[in-house]
Amino acid sequence: MIEIINSRPWIEWLITIAKFAFCFVPVLYILLLIPMERRGAGFMQDRQGPNRSYIKIPFFGKIRLLGYVQNMCDGAKLFFKEQFTPSGVNKFLYNLAPAIPFAIVFLSPCVIPWFGPMVFEWGGSVVRVSGSILDSEIGVLLLFGFSSLSAYGAVLAGWASKSKYSFLGALRTSATTISYEVCLGLSLMGVLLLVGSFNLTDIVSWQEHHVWGIVAQPIAFVCFLIASIAETGRAPFDVAEGEPELVAGYHTEYGAMQFGLFYMGEYSHICINSFLISTLFLGGYAVPFVTTETIQAHMGGSLSILCGVLAFLVLAFLHLLYRYSRKLKKTNLTHKNVVLREYLLYKICGWVAVLVLIAGGLCAWFLFNPSVSFIGGETVYGIGTALGTALIHLLVLVVKSVAFCWVWIWVRWTLPRFRYDHIMHLGWKIILNIALVNLVVTAIVAKLVGGN
Amino acid sequence: MLALIYFIILGVIALGSAICVFLSRHPLYGALSLVLSMVSLAGIYGLLGSPFVGVVQIMVYAGAIMMLLTFVIMVLNGARDSKTPMFDKVSLFVIPAVLALSGLVGFALVQAPIAFDASALRGSVALTSQTLFDTSSKGQGYFVLFEVLGLLLLSAMVAAVLLAKKRLGSINEGEDK
Repeated sequence: MIEIINSRPWIEWLITIAKFAFCFVPVLYILLLIPMERRGAGFMQDRQGPNRSYIKIPFFGKIRLLGYVQNMCDGAKLFFKEQFTPSGVNKFLYNLAPAIPFAIVFLSPCVIPWFGPMVFEWGGSVVRVSGSILDSEIGVLLLFGFSSLSAYGAVLAGWASKSKYSFLGALRTSATTISYEVCLGLSLMGVLLLVGSFNLTDIVSWQEHHVWGIVAQPIAFVCFLIASIAETGRAPFDVAEGEPELVAGYHTEYGAMQFGLFYMGEYSHICINSFLISTLFLGGYAVPFVTTETIQAHMGGSLSILCGVLAFLVLAFLHLLYRYSRKLKKTNLTHKNVVLREYLLYKICGWVAVLVLIAGGLCAWFLFNPSVSFIGGETVYGIGTALGTALIHLLVLVVKSVAFCWVWIWVRWTLPRFRYDHIMHLGWKIILNIALVNLVVTAIVAKLVGGN
Repeated sequence: MLALIYFIILGVIALGSAICVFLSRHPLYGALSLVLSMVSLAGIYGLLGSPFVGVVQIMVYAGAIMMLLTFVIMVLNGARDSKTPMFDKVSLFVIPAVLALSGLVGFALVQAPIAFDASALRGSVALTSQTLFDTSSKGQGYFVLFEVLGLLLLSAMVAAVLLAKKRLGSINEGEDK
């Protein structure tokens, strides 16, 4: 045992263990996605969205955090509600079912590369740490395996509830999941053919040095996007829980936190799928038009540009706040002083953030001296550069995935729900065939051009 | 050492759930035990240095085929009767056959010189693809079998569709309506 521990430097063990924190990313994304969904729905339906719940603090009064407090209220409500079990249900499966999709949420992030492989000099030797928790050659297949297992939650919930609505919802879920997993896998094959590897780190580095997957495989991208929206079971593919027909589908008989687990499982599934799409088709952690080598060679400059971009975003937010405050001052609204007092807090926080970011950027520009050493004919940077690169990569990946999360919300509130037979028709007769033709054409072109 | 501990845990789960498949009265519980057994088998494949085979086991068997099976169990009326007797006349033949087979396999395993080496790669992606799709003239030619198998599955699917269509002559009639 002790030989295994001693075989690697402690810093490698530390980073390897710290990477397990990425398992919680989908759960953290729920906190981001639910307010985003609500405000997005409000934006699309030309209304405000939830903005009434608040926290009262001493000087600034009612703080609403742009509607974010509503999220905490909902969470508290779900947690403290009574957990009821309808009579006649199959107790064991009824209680097991909500846990399955939520447990798989914690397993799925293990193969996604969160940053490029870290290579740095430590104690005279080169340390290499991969960007994903599990750097395996099967990579993306494992993710598909897990996501195919997560449908058991809905199926068992529907069956164990012993209710007709739940049962119909479960049948629809299992049929939709099986159908669209085929499309999902087939549309992905084009990219895998070009890259020649299942490993997501390899796929990202191929995209970094050639072109993004969305340019190389635009048709596969569209098929994959549609199939993964269908696989998450969200509108317009949410026949499994269509309110007008089935009350709430497979989770009709669930309440309180058991319902909450399904709800959170759905949002985490969106998160995982948007991470997957941005990794497969949008270059993953790769910064557009800049290779990792360039970033590492100009680490101080890259960090200060990052700080500059963040400061610009905060300034844009402050601009919105000031513009809205000016408009609010001219109106006769009775609560305008309360709102202005609340905005004062945001403005103070915003300006502090801008100052800190600008100071950080200047420090990075002038004071950051990356140590370079040559070990075995290879240029290796110090740990500071490696951590900085990982930070930039992680932020780039988060930005891409949040953009895709927005696509999910956008689609949900734009398109009406499809009829069940239309979904099957779309899956088996249209997307599957397009994906097949795309795969064959890709294979022929790749053979002619002389790829893998 | 660590691999051996994992192997024992997974083996116990796989065997236990496989026994549960026999003993469960309800078909759905049987199917779920089978899923558990398959997932733990996939873990054992991973331990034996064949992660590709393991993940295909999860994707194809536990994910797709067993999902289809639960679907069928739920659709058919069998889901409602949990009064199926555990033993009937067929068991007279099945149980001795299973016992004989497990005895034979166990005897063969005990006789065979098997060393548990978790570090050897047996079913990695590269190895599998080399074995299957070695198109050189010296290769074993498994790719021909692979393609033939694909054709076989296709013909089975076509036959199933034909069987499912009740009246072969009435395709045009149906479209008119």
